Amino acid sequence: MNDKLNKIIEKQQKQIEEPQKKEDDIVQLVGFIIGQEEYAVPILSIQEIIKPIEYTRVPSVPSYILGVFNLRGSVIPLIDLRTKFKMEPAKASEDTRYIVMKGKDNTAGFVIDRLTEAIRIKSSKIGPPPETIHADKGMVYGIGMREDNILTILKVESLLKRDF
Amino acid sequence: MEDIQEILEDFLVEAFELIEQIDQNLVELENNPNDLELLNSIFRVAHTIKGSSSFLNFDVLTHLTHHMEDVLNKARRNELKLTPEVMDVVLESIDIMKALLHAIRDNGNDTSIGIDITDICTRLDAISNGENISDLVAPKEVIEKPRVVEQEEDNTDYSKMSDQDVEDEIERLLKVRKEEDKKRRENSGVTPSPSVSVSVSKVVIEKDEDEEEDEKPVERASASRKVESSGAATPPAKKEAASSMEQTIRVEVKRLDHLMNLIGELVLGKNRLLKIYDDVEERYEGEKFLEELNQVVSSISLVTTDLQIAVMKTRMLPIAKVFNKFPRMVRDLSRELGKSIELEISGEETELDKSIVEEIGDPLVHIIRNSCDHGVETADIRRAKGKSETGLIQLKAYNEGNNIVIEITDDGNGLDPDILRAKAIEKGMITEREADGMSDKEAFALIFRPALSTAKVVTNVSGRGVGMDVVKTNIEKLNGIIDVDSELGQGTVIRLKIPLTLAIIQALLVGAQEEYYAIPLASVLETVRIPLDEIYTIEGKNVLRLRDEVLSLVRLSDIFGVKQVYEGGEHAYVVVIGLAEAKLGVVVDTLVGQEEIVIKSLGDYLQGIEGIAGATIRGDGRVTLIVDVAALMNLAKGISVDIRATTESTVKVKSVPSDYIVLAVDDSAMDRNIMKKSMEPIGVKVIEASNGQEALNMLKSSEYTIDAVLIDIEMPRMDGYTLAGEIRKYSKYKNLPLIAVTSRTSKSDRLRGVESGMSEYITKPYSPEYLESVVRKNIKL
Repeated sequence: MNDKLNKIIEKQQKQIEEPQKKEDDIVQLVGFIIGQEEYAVPILSIQEIIKPIEYTRVPSVPSYILGVFNLRGSVIPLIDLRTKFKMEPAKASEDTRYIVMKGKDNTAGFVIDRLTEAIRIKSSKIGPPPETIHADKGMVYGIGMREDNILTILKVESLLKRDF
Repeated sequence: MEDIQEILEDFLVEAFELIEQIDQNLVELENNPNDLELLNSIFRVAHTIKGSSSFLNFDVLTHLTHHMEDVLNKARRNELKLTPEVMDVVLESIDIMKALLHAIRDNGNDTSIGIDITDICTRLDAISNGENISDLVAPKEVIEKPRVVEQEEDNTDYSKMSDQDVEDEIERLLKVRKEEDKKRRENSGVTPSPSVSVSVSKVVIEKDEDEEEDEKPVERASASRKVESSGAATPPAKKEAASSMEQTIRVEVKRLDHLMNLIGELVLGKNRLLKIYDDVEERYEGEKFLEELNQVVSSISLVTTDLQIAVMKTRMLPIAKVFNKFPRMVRDLSRELGKSIELEISGEETELDKSIVEEIGDPLVHIIRNSCDHGVETADIRRAKGKSETGLIQLKAYNEGNNIVIEITDDGNGLDPDILRAKAIEKGMITEREADGMSDKEAFALIFRPALSTAKVVTNVSGRGVGMDVVKTNIEKLNGIIDVDSELGQGTVIRLKIPLTLAIIQALLVGAQEEYYAIPLASVLETVRIPLDEIYTIEGKNVLRLRDEVLSLVRLSDIFGVKQVYEGGEHAYVVVIGLAEAKLGVVVDTLVGQEEIVIKSLGDYLQGIEGIAGATIRGDGRVTLIVDVAALMNLAKGISVDIRATTESTVKVKSVPSDYIVLAVDDSAMDRNIMKKSMEPIGVKVIEASNGQEALNMLKSSEYTIDAVLIDIEMPRMDGYTLAGEIRKYSKYKNLPLIAVTSRTSKSDRLRGVESGMSEYITKPYSPEYLESVVRKNIKL
């Protein structure tokens, strides 16, 4: 009787552990569009995603820092990824969102054109960034290969690093 | 083990409190050698420390205090006269005692820093034996003798003892203590002991420095524990003292900081609530619930303000904490310099925030040193000048609104503005022309420049020209203002004005174009409204003559690179800011008003932006940046924009009808087309916007110079009335023709149109000819 029970418990234990093992090599990302390209960041680095709200300009900072905004009592910098990636600035649309990302010691909001979807991708499908693009700044974590397109996965820590 | 740690903590806190007082008492004692009361309280300090330190096995300290006790005991019984020479030795021994206590705090024992006390003990003994000590006063080098070996065993670490051992040890020591207590009571039972118990009864705020250094977190002792642990050594509070003793509890500063942060959030919430109430009041005027809401809002705002003051008070310390060390300092300096100087302190009970108390000490030391060294003259010079031989330095603190003012007055030599000017020119700090234009007051301010010292000799007290620079930096850090007044031969007054607290401040909100900034009110001296033609240009800099002062002017929007959206009128608002000794006029476009703001950091990412001290969240939920006044003054130096020239920008002259632009604002594309068609005969250019917001943005962008606007009233996002109101806010659009084109025909609608700033009101349907003629009339074609 006891043996049987133990076996069942063991079996259950295995069932709980196994799916986790499988998930271990799956990376969960949130995809979004800036300009024409699709980018993604790890889902765990995102604190929240909000609709555009009013922000206050901050003087004497690079142009990609739009200013600061009030996120429930905290003052948080707002960074325009279009300008940061040297693209033409665009007007805010219905789909524009602020992604608030949280790093080790910084939190910042990033303006993106449009959200796409939550993405699960096997880590084996993520390749190193080609040396020619963005390599100098180290903002790219890797390139994700998907069935119909490719994704640029961004490194959150370097996005949140002050570089001026 | 933890108990011992706790006792040690308590011992240190108490000992530092005691020695802070002892300095002052000793100097007082020198003036009144017969004051038995003072003598007793000093004796008790030595005794208390001796008792506690022997309990904790700090033998060096015990040894030293024991000898001090001997001397003081003799003095108390009138067997010894306290001459200045004796006092010197006593004071020196107190210094060593302090050093030992610091060593204990930092290292946990009193032997590792190797202070040798045999020399001072010999001298103390000599005094208590009645020998003449003048020939015994040992040169300083002797102090650096090798350590005595007998102290080795002091390092007994309680943490290594077993619990039983510790118990035994405590038992044994308590027995000894009881006996000593008994003896002491016999000796000093006659006199009450108010001073010691009073110092204990204050709330003591202590910084938790141990946290970083100490691997074991030290639990704060509760008040009751404290009495238990050190009570054996503290003289038992007499009845009359007990009645005045308040119940106190020691609280970690971290907790108070947290509390302060929470209050900050609450203040923001309150501001928000007030703002919402204003909006609601406007919209639902006369409604019954409004009164109820009003009551709630005002009671919450009242309670919040009280709460904020209450929490601020918990962080307040009397400035006496800083002032107490000065009598001793002045005494030492006057002996060293061979001058006779008296220090008069008043207002030491004035309280201010702990963090400020910590910062204010250094500047005051420098100012007082300066007063002693350069200010007060030697006795014979004073006599020759007909002054009393003893110089007087007054140190005074008092409250003034939300500020505390500290005044340092000396009746010495005073500052000579001409010598200061000459010296500054010699060092190349200012040009001769600048010097000529300098008022005396501005010349006094030169003493705060680095490397300017008028002292002919550099002494080890002052004269290197560093001190006053330190004063300036520290006071600036606190957002304070320095004011120097001096009369040659009569003396100098230095006034420091410092805000009471740092976390929540009063600020003046100003508008620069479309942006708002908060300027700490402590730095605002005044605001004035001036006509533009009172601004003059000198060497590319804008200046204003304000009463008998010449003030540099700079526009806030130039400093922060604010986009120019609208032009100012004939007048400008000038906010005169002052920091330390400097002044600057800041030209702003609007003055919003005074508000209580909570300082928030901009976070790591945006830290250290020049000119910005932080941010705050306003009642409407928007972020407003707080100006860093010190940095602003620096930034202003690099800006030379002619304020008058830029406001007189020329407008392009329009000659033919096609130069004219009419903006048609309507959410229906068909209506816009009808408008366009109607205006074809005039030949003007028509641009379109589908709602108020879009129209406003077009006007703001200044892409087109628009000559008239046709406005539909009912539109999404921003209706016609609001649009008209917004447009009229811009001074350059004060006279822009705004023509309402609407199907709303009622009288009240028309009235509202006029109120919001419409110049014409056309009702739909209209004939194209009618619209054409109205537009023609308005753009004068």
